[in-house]
Amino acid sequence: MSRNTSLLRATSVALAACALLWAWFAWRAPIDAMQGPIQKILYVHVPCVVGAYLGFALTAFASGLYLWRREERSDRFAAASAEVGVFFCTLVLLTGPIWAKGTWGRWWTWDLRLTLTLLLYLVYVSYLLLRSFTEGSERAARFAAVYAIAGLAVIPLNYFAIDLAAGRTVHPENLGRGSLGAGMGAPFALGMLTAVAAFAHLLVRRLEVGVLRGERDRREAESAREEA
Amino acid sequence: MNALLRARGLTKRFGPVSALAPLDLELGPGQALAVLGPNGAGKSTLLRLLAGLARPSGGVIEIGAEAGNRAQRRRAIGLVGHATFLYPTLTTRENLLLTARLYGLDAPAERAARMLADEELLAVADRRVGALSRGLAQRAAIARALLHDPKLVLLDEPWTGLDARAAERLSRRLEALRSAGRALVIVSHDLARVAGLAARALVLVRGRADWLGGEALRDEAALGPAYTASVARLEGAA
Amino acid sequence: MSTLVAVLWKDLVSEWRSRDRLVAMGVFALLVVIVLYLAAPPGSGPEARAHVPGLLWVAWSFAGVLGLNRAFAIELENEALSGLALAPVDRGFVFLGKALASFVLLLAVQLASALAFALAFDLDLRPVAGRLALVAALGAAGLCTLGTLFSAIAVRTQYREVMLPLLLLPLLVPVLLGAVRATNALLLEGTLPWPALQLLLVTDGVFAIVSFLTFEVVLDE
Repeated sequence: MSRNTSLLRATSVALAACALLWAWFAWRAPIDAMQGPIQKILYVHVPCVVGAYLGFALTAFASGLYLWRREERSDRFAAASAEVGVFFCTLVLLTGPIWAKGTWGRWWTWDLRLTLTLLLYLVYVSYLLLRSFTEGSERAARFAAVYAIAGLAVIPLNYFAIDLAAGRTVHPENLGRGSLGAGMGAPFALGMLTAVAAFAHLLVRRLEVGVLRGERDRREAESAREEA
Repeated sequence: MNALLRARGLTKRFGPVSALAPLDLELGPGQALAVLGPNGAGKSTLLRLLAGLARPSGGVIEIGAEAGNRAQRRRAIGLVGHATFLYPTLTTRENLLLTARLYGLDAPAERAARMLADEELLAVADRRVGALSRGLAQRAAIARALLHDPKLVLLDEPWTGLDARAAERLSRRLEALRSAGRALVIVSHDLARVAGLAARALVLVRGRADWLGGEALRDEAALGPAYTASVARLEGAA
Repeated sequence: MSTLVAVLWKDLVSEWRSRDRLVAMGVFALLVVIVLYLAAPPGSGPEARAHVPGLLWVAWSFAGVLGLNRAFAIELENEALSGLALAPVDRGFVFLGKALASFVLLLAVQLASALAFALAFDLDLRPVAGRLALVAALGAAGLCTLGTLFSAIAVRTQYREVMLPLLLLPLLVPVLLGAVRATNALLLEGTLPWPALQLLLVTDGVFAIVSFLTFEVVLDE
């Protein structure tokens, strides 16, 4: 318990520091000539993308570990990572259309990255639903692990598939070194860092919840047994 | 003694609930073990663990002298469960044929035919299993479990649904198997039948175990009180 | 290998006796054809026609899911699935046997519904028949491999009929996109684009490998 608390504190501090720096730089960053102030929402959107995909990668990795070693903590990690990841993915799908409406005038297009992220979101949701609707924690862990691994194998394929179908992408191309205006590099970089810090912090919290739930279930089961 | 089945520290948890407290178990060829206990005690769970259908949460199970691979272990086991494991749209013969093929038996058609004859199932050999009565389906399930001549036979309430004649024939069949060197683990509420077969009994109450042997297993008259006492002891210790 | 044949034989014989999967899938696909005909009749111009390939795959995907749902439902009666789990076989081959059975059934439905589509929308499929069959088969293969794996999972969850499409469809996107693109090109231009075919082949391969390897774990209790 103490290990978790110190980890929690460490991530809280890291998160607070990153968030403050990032917010300050984002606030101070110049307003984009073409897009106007709404461009600043990208400082939230892009880091959230990092969180979303990081979450899935970690879930898939923990799932593989679980199937190999069958350790409960790997499964707990996979579940926690998925929940935090889906949160970030939701933010991506919320901030993206807001920015799109402000700049392109449309809430949604079926371009490569948007569709891919939507699909990622659906995979996340299906993963979490699978976990809830399977009876038996060992079975749920096993099934979810298989699904996560299948998902990991397919997400890159989706990239090529949508690319094939859509052809041109409407999404802004990835910002190379020079394409960022002066003063925009810092907030983006700090944003990424903040996202990772936020992810870590939320993950630690969620893991703690998982452990506490396990203990509560154990105690409930024991007292039910006493009464019987 | 060359143990056919050895389990050490066997446990099973379903989430936070412990269905089986750490259990040690050893069974050699020609030995029969009865597993007794009230409903929900963990008897079926134990059987499924031994059969390899479920993974233990802790502990080790060894089947056969050498460690062997998974396929060898599965080949050594025959399970008669609560369900029949038979496909209702296939005939009895076809079900046995499928089993023979899955277990890699030579001359599957002949083996199936012989088993049908042995179990007196020829009359319903070409009838769909879905159309069989409960007793006949149970007999077909037993035929399926024994088809590949397993060294370890696990049975969960095998006499349920059988008429007196079929039940008696099953008891004799199991005794013959035991004499031929097979090991048996039988879960049953029928104390009279297991007393005649088994030399030892494992009493399970809420996952905890107590052992009975020797004089207690002589006949039903002896087993009944011994069993009741065991259950009371285990429940009291909760 | 004999496991594969044994399981395949069992599924096809069972299906032949009851025919419930085939009928359900066939009727469903036919209904889709009828609905689409009503929604976009042949006379309504090239715009409507342009949607036919995609709609064909909608019909085939949902028919496929319908059949796959039943694939493991039959294993639950009498706990027959446990019987398979007990057998000393490589479970990957059990998977292949079941996937192949679903594949055969889906191919049959695809053939029948393609004919119905051709009749309803006045299409001449003869010049592209061979290549269309190839694309249909590749798409069906992708559907049936991942679909069989997820069907085995979904059948032991609480909302099994809903669970399978939920799990399957997001991951099926590469197959569907490749198949629709290829079908589109075939029906509208008479060509078969290599990138689409490539995507189908790679995806089918990945699906088959992942499903084959993980089925071992899925068949546990």
